[in-house]
Amino acid sequence: MSIAERIKVLIVDDQVTSRLLLGDALQQLGFKQITVAGDGEQALKIMVQQPHHLVISDFNMPKMDGLGLLQGVRSNPATKKAAFIMLTAQGDRALVTKAAALGANNVLAKPFTIEKMKAAIEAVFGALK
Amino acid sequence: MMNSAGLRRVHVIQGEFKVVSDPNVVLSTILGSCVAACLRDPVTGIGGMNHFLLPGSADASMNSGDATRYGVHLMELLINGLLKQGARRDRLEAKLFGGAKTIARFSNVGEQNTLFAKRFLLDEGITLLGESTGGEHGRKVEYWPATGKARQQALTGVETQKTVALEQRPVPVVKPPETTIEFF
Repeated sequence: MSIAERIKVLIVDDQVTSRLLLGDALQQLGFKQITVAGDGEQALKIMVQQPHHLVISDFNMPKMDGLGLLQGVRSNPATKKAAFIMLTAQGDRALVTKAAALGANNVLAKPFTIEKMKAAIEAVFGALK
Repeated sequence: MMNSAGLRRVHVIQGEFKVVSDPNVVLSTILGSCVAACLRDPVTGIGGMNHFLLPGSADASMNSGDATRYGVHLMELLINGLLKQGARRDRLEAKLFGGAKTIARFSNVGEQNTLFAKRFLLDEGITLLGESTGGEHGRKVEYWPATGKARQQALTGVETQKTVALEQRPVPVVKPPETTIEFF
């Protein structure tokens, strides 16, 4: 089993289309265990019930945004060790700094290519294959 | 620009989006094979317009997945902009314009752009109230976000050719986000 196949990923984005594209990109990279959530609140519930190794979350979402989710994940002993990659559609340096301070492992700008997504994940987990 | 009726005109160029909450603003754009999505929240009157051309066969460095992600990105920027001003996602309604069939091209880029936009709206559950897409002529479009009214004027053959030629120039992708902080 490859590394990608062993990693449980949780995709969090309020846009259906973005979730589909992200899921598709991850499948192309060899990921098999993928769960999706539509906002931070839902994602946090899923994480508490069934911790995932990697959270890839959009920043701009209703109810609870990406930073709120990141804080929630980091403050719960059951989920705090999960890797967290934040996606952002806006080129906002303050957000990148904030995400880094709150413990994000990486930040990736949208629109991303599959190669960039791969590099962002490999920076956290090492080579996927 | 302000005219006698106190109406302010805001022009939207390719690769750009504008969101307004001022009822005295009319958004305008000129489209060849590009598509403009006009979105608004009818309750708050907050609305906006984007203007895009997906990189298709003309740009070999991008595969279709990358092109779709680029398009989704431009739609997302517009929607995020609307939500930021106070629009509600579940109330958003849309009108689509553009996607004219261009001459001397193997693939119908305009149609691909229109299909992408319609698919996106369908997947996101955003109601498409009306559209004027396809055809052989470009369009000059005006959109009043406060009322949702739109008006279009067909370009002449020469104007269409000029517009399409301008659209084919490489445009810088929406400003590169700064993600230069070293994490490791």
